[in-house]
Amino acid sequence: MASRKKSLLKVIILGDSSVGKTSLMNQYVNKRFSNQYKATIGADFCTKEVVVNDRVVTMQIWDTAGQERFQSLGVAFYRGADCCVLVYDVTAPNSFKNLDSWRDEFLIQASPRDPEHFPFVVLGNKVDLDNRQVSTRRAQQWCQSKNDIPYYETSAKEGINVEMAFQTIAKNALEQETEAELINDFPDQIRLNSDNNRPGNTDNCQC
Amino acid sequence: MWIQPKDLLLPSPFWIAEMYSKYFVLQKRRGHGESRGFGSMLVGTFDSVMSTKPAPYRILHQTPSSEVSYEIAIGLTQDEIVKDWEWLQTNLFSVLNEMENEEEVTNFTICKIQSLYAQNNQDDTGESPDFKVMTSQFRKIFKMPEEERLVNSYSATYVKNKIPRQGQLYISLNHVCFYSYLLSEEIKRIIRFAELEDISRSGKTIYLKTTNNMTYNFTLIFNASKAHALIEQLNKMAIQKLIQDPESPVVDHDTSNYTRFATKMSKEPVLLRDLTARQKSEEFRVYFRLPQTEIIDGKIKADIWTPYSKRFHAGYIYLSPNFFCFRSDVKDLVSLVIPMKTIKSVEKKDDGQQRYDNQIVIFSSDNVPFMFSKIVDREVLISKITDLLSRIHIPVSRERAKYDISWSKQTALLNTFKTQFSPDIQKKQEQKLARWEDHFRDFGRGIAMFRTTDVINLIVEGIPDKLRQEIWLIFSGAIHDKEMNPGLYEDLVEKAACIKNSFVHDEIDRDLPRSLPEHPAFQCTDGIGALRRVLQAYALRNPQVGYCQAMNIVSSVFLLFCDEENAFWMLAALCENLLPDYYQDKIVGAQIDQGVLNELVATHLSDLHEHLERLGVIKMISISWFLTIFISVISYESSLQILDCFFYEGAKIIFMISLQIIEWNRDKLLDCQDDGEAMLVLQTYLEGIYNPEYQVPPPTDKRRQERPQTQTVQTLIYEAYTKFGAELTQQRIEELRNKHRRLTVRQFDIDNEKTIVKAHVQNPYFERLELHTLLTIIREEKLVLKSVQQQQKTQSLSEAPQLQHHQSPARDIMPGGGSGRHEAYSVNYEVFHTLFSELTPWRKCVSVDIAEKLFRLTDKKGTGQLDFGQLVNALGLVCSNKSTEKLKLLFVLHLPPLLSKAEIERTRRPRPRTKDDAEEAIEAEDFFDDDASESIEALPSPSDQNFDADDFALISATQHLHNLAGISGNTFMDLSRTPNLSLNSNASSLAHRNSTFYVDLPGAAGLAGLSGTATRTDAGQEDDYDIGLHQQGRYESIDTFSDISDLGAARMTPPTTAGAASAAAAGSNAATAAEQMLLNVETISNFSQISDLVAATRLDRADSNATDTRSLGSLGYLLDQPSEGAAGGHSPVPHMRKENFQLLWRSIIEIMGCVQDEDMRRAYENLIELGNSNIKKEPSLESFTQLNLAGSGDEQPDNNGNPTTPAAEPSSTTRLFIALEEELRQAKAAAAGGGAAATTRTTNTTSSGSSSSTNISDGWHISIKQFIATALTCECIEKAFQTSTRIVEQIEQLQKKRRKCLSTNYNY
Repeated sequence: MASRKKSLLKVIILGDSSVGKTSLMNQYVNKRFSNQYKATIGADFCTKEVVVNDRVVTMQIWDTAGQERFQSLGVAFYRGADCCVLVYDVTAPNSFKNLDSWRDEFLIQASPRDPEHFPFVVLGNKVDLDNRQVSTRRAQQWCQSKNDIPYYETSAKEGINVEMAFQTIAKNALEQETEAELINDFPDQIRLNSDNNRPGNTDNCQC
Repeated sequence: MWIQPKDLLLPSPFWIAEMYSKYFVLQKRRGHGESRGFGSMLVGTFDSVMSTKPAPYRILHQTPSSEVSYEIAIGLTQDEIVKDWEWLQTNLFSVLNEMENEEEVTNFTICKIQSLYAQNNQDDTGESPDFKVMTSQFRKIFKMPEEERLVNSYSATYVKNKIPRQGQLYISLNHVCFYSYLLSEEIKRIIRFAELEDISRSGKTIYLKTTNNMTYNFTLIFNASKAHALIEQLNKMAIQKLIQDPESPVVDHDTSNYTRFATKMSKEPVLLRDLTARQKSEEFRVYFRLPQTEIIDGKIKADIWTPYSKRFHAGYIYLSPNFFCFRSDVKDLVSLVIPMKTIKSVEKKDDGQQRYDNQIVIFSSDNVPFMFSKIVDREVLISKITDLLSRIHIPVSRERAKYDISWSKQTALLNTFKTQFSPDIQKKQEQKLARWEDHFRDFGRGIAMFRTTDVINLIVEGIPDKLRQEIWLIFSGAIHDKEMNPGLYEDLVEKAACIKNSFVHDEIDRDLPRSLPEHPAFQCTDGIGALRRVLQAYALRNPQVGYCQAMNIVSSVFLLFCDEENAFWMLAALCENLLPDYYQDKIVGAQIDQGVLNELVATHLSDLHEHLERLGVIKMISISWFLTIFISVISYESSLQILDCFFYEGAKIIFMISLQIIEWNRDKLLDCQDDGEAMLVLQTYLEGIYNPEYQVPPPTDKRRQERPQTQTVQTLIYEAYTKFGAELTQQRIEELRNKHRRLTVRQFDIDNEKTIVKAHVQNPYFERLELHTLLTIIREEKLVLKSVQQQQKTQSLSEAPQLQHHQSPARDIMPGGGSGRHEAYSVNYEVFHTLFSELTPWRKCVSVDIAEKLFRLTDKKGTGQLDFGQLVNALGLVCSNKSTEKLKLLFVLHLPPLLSKAEIERTRRPRPRTKDDAEEAIEAEDFFDDDASESIEALPSPSDQNFDADDFALISATQHLHNLAGISGNTFMDLSRTPNLSLNSNASSLAHRNSTFYVDLPGAAGLAGLSGTATRTDAGQEDDYDIGLHQQGRYESIDTFSDISDLGAARMTPPTTAGAASAAAAGSNAATAAEQMLLNVETISNFSQISDLVAATRLDRADSNATDTRSLGSLGYLLDQPSEGAAGGHSPVPHMRKENFQLLWRSIIEIMGCVQDEDMRRAYENLIELGNSNIKKEPSLESFTQLNLAGSGDEQPDNNGNPTTPAAEPSSTTRLFIALEEELRQAKAAAAGGGAAATTRTTNTTSSGSSSSTNISDGWHISIKQFIATALTCECIEKAFQTSTRIVEQIEQLQKKRRKCLSTNYNY
């Protein structure tokens, strides 16, 4: 684990495949929308300088792959996260339903010290589309039930609410960082190669 | 077993004669069986040290005057040898007696035996008798089942406590075992392949390390490297079985296939030959990129004539059913693949000059000659080729179903969407094309071209667009698969198009526009449509992989250059051969290679490694690099050239390029402070790589233009080859992969276990460490079972399934797809049984199969599987110190029909199932007649096979008992709960109580075991209802019970919301509840603790939502259960019969170690007496039957959706507690007094106010609380049940036992 300066915020974007994670990140960082992104494999990465509470901080945004089979890799990316952004697509009810599992998975793999108060932000993306299927109320309810997670409805395409959402993200992440440093490794980590001190043949048996 | 007669010169002192005749003697080897003298010990040691391992019995033929005797038969058991002896007696003795000449006798005998031997071995597996002996000894020593096949065994030394032990190393399909017998000290070790974490060898010593940190080393004077290779191979197979779902292989790799190709005459054991052949075939396939179905037939030394250099090169010819291949001795000098079907003729050629002997010439269908010389055995080769040619099977396009789908195959997209090159680049392309044409002229074209270093050089420079399809197809091997499966692609496309509502198709559709969006071909329907068809067809071909992101990206590049069928086959080659397991679930393959890359960095860039490791960089970068072969990280035009090399080199090129890129950025990476910075460094560098020889029009993505150019892809490839090409061999990669496959799979287990432990850490029974250990043992046990089952399956496929040991009630343990982390640790009946009988204190119970009962009870939904939470609860309680809960559980486990009459009969006089049982079953079925609908729901049970009426009844009954005991899974839900009793919380709500209290299980600490019954008033139902729901205190009292139960998802609901929510819920659930209540009338009346459930269920229901209806519902209907409903034709309750009770008591005694003191005897008599008196007092103890139900009984039939009023007990925990105390005291006093009078008093107390409508058909009867109260009066019982069991110790003991083979490995 790298020693991190206080002015660095690590933000992880999670959510189902094709809800617009990459687009949101690029809209925020480069102020640009393109419909020519490839599906993200593994993870993508951007940084941006932001001013929060009159402080200049560097925000490291990690954009992850959405397909389920990539989830097991998460642990490499999640460690040391200051904030987790959960994205769903307002036109895809399933992506909303899966927020629960994304949140749980993150908490399990990242093991923040205080999971109850770890800062999440939920973004309902693609509000520019007509065929909306998840109501604002439903999303808000969900967020409330999870310790009042801040909720924004965004459009990466039109740039709606993106700036504001990321401001909140930065703010909450910063608070998190000052409050408590994360535990980066699991307390009960089992090391695979920790057994080299055992000489030659041992069988642990006394007979 | 007759053997080929062998002559022996000396009579050996190691044998004792058992039977004599004139010409024969039956001998037994010392050291076997009874005789325990010094001599036998010595012989045992001798056998072990010399690894002679003869069979224990043999028959010798000898003639009185001759020194020589002949060994003619051997036997593993006395029976076997005696059979042979008897045969001799009947068939030979008299005949031989008539002969005069001893020589004649001997000749006759030997001739006879030889013919017998030949006869018996005609349909034999071809194993030598020695090996058969070895196998049977292996099974005997290590108690292995018949399915476990021995591969080979080696003489080895195992160093234990610094003392070397000479013995025998046995390698079987799933285990490495060691056995040594040294002067009466036996050493056994069993190591499973699937649990090996590290395998290494230095010199003659093989080191093994298992996942639970045991290390072993074995020194083999001979064959160390062979044994090591064998262990590696078998371990790889074992791990691959874990990774891939063996149920649905794309290509079947059954070991048995290899048998016929192995050299028949070899002396090696059959299985070893199979495995060797398998290994050779794999190497052969990988080298020549042949389809997975190819099995090598043989190789032969030869020289090849290469026309381009006009000389001969030494090497080997390889033959397989469909291919004729050649590989030079000098690495990469020349190789050749000729498909058999293109061979037109094979001719002998003899030069006049005799310069080159034994030549043959092969003509391909294009009349191209290939000349070979110095073929050692030319005739054999020719006949072999002829044979293979005659057997060749040319696949024809299959007849296929017609689908109403119109589509046409897309040709290479670049034909339509032409790349606009600048004149410069156009010229370069043409130059390249010309050079390739030259090359084709010299070296041939098509599959059968001479593959030399020249072609590598051409490829490294980049293949011209026009040739990409052709070259890619050949070098990836895709062309072979395509030619062997004509029509398959069309078939798959059409089938896939008919599939509706597929999740995979949704995933594919989402990614279609996100594959190669910058290319115009994928901005219109042509490209998108073709891509969809290719991906869908592949998902159908290989459901294990389905669709994985990244496949879309590589496939779209394939589609640019190849027509869609070719693109499909390239994708297949990619997923199945070139990048094995990459796109599987959890992208295992890529994660393995990630480990390999990490290790390569450590070796080649050691100064960087530590730094990168600390940053965790390799884990982040490599996935996209590997999965898309750099396409997603380097510009498209540059990645093409890497792809060219990739098809020739395989995964090796990815490692080389990765290393080169890291190396080039060494300094910048060393400066990085965190993972993000490092990512950025590499990302920027990669995006700057450009291809000056293939410049497509400016990229549309503006971001890319801004990047400064860093390096040409040509330099990158060239440098990578020069620096790492020589050191990175395919073999080395394979070795590293084997190692990291183990580590990766192990890491998955560790991660999974961590997660599961986290989820269950708040369970009331086990600590974190204990949970970890428990998970480990579950994993190990499941592995054992899996391997056994697989072998059974293989055996039954390859005929001779003689041994059907067990009528296993098992269902397939493979969790479908294996994706669920928790499923991986759910256990089936077999595993549960093993765990139960190895770990818990109740294993001592032999009269009744408690494990089976507990499994049925716990497996609430009848799935045949217990999840980890259920298992923890079940085992946890049994191992805990909660004496009352344990007694309660034991009581429930012995209730009919869980413990059926039939079973009781069986325990009395053991006998196989007979007709009587069926009658019992019918009786039992009648018993639960009304439950048919419920039972059907519950049908899936541990006993799927052999499912009969008896089981049927049992299951339905089990359902009831679930409800009674309330054991269930779902513990994730109630993490927040811990047993506590806040007794004062609700004193005020006593107001309208009119109830009977029961003493139920006051715990030793006064904390656990309070579990009372409450009833409701029969007035003001609505009010009561609300009050009941507000009873926080009441609810908490249930918590003690929920130690064994989790009551569905009984979460702690804040009292304020509970009422409101439940009011709403009640309405919606009422219909369900009403339906179900009909079925379960009888269950309620018997057990006092039900009322706990009733109350708890109410709360459950309060916050249950629709999805929970099944789990909660099963408890939910208890709630509204009017016992009067029973009057409406429902069966009587399952209640404790006398016989059941007697068995219950016997179980207790057994659990206590088969001792019964005076106290216990008295308690027993009291209870029996109590049971009798209960009959007399007909109004039974089931007093709470009248509790809540008197009133609601009226409403019971109302099952059209009106809320049937749930009973409400405005009970006060305080009151309850007092009452319980009181009652317990009485009960104790009663029991202590030992008088029937006291007993009656108890009965009176408890049954006060009861007005049972239950018919007690059987007479004798006691209630659970009577039982517990009385049982606990015995100090020894109380003590025994209060002792907790240290599960970790138990598990460690079990593991030790397994390793040392102290117990049977497999419980059937």
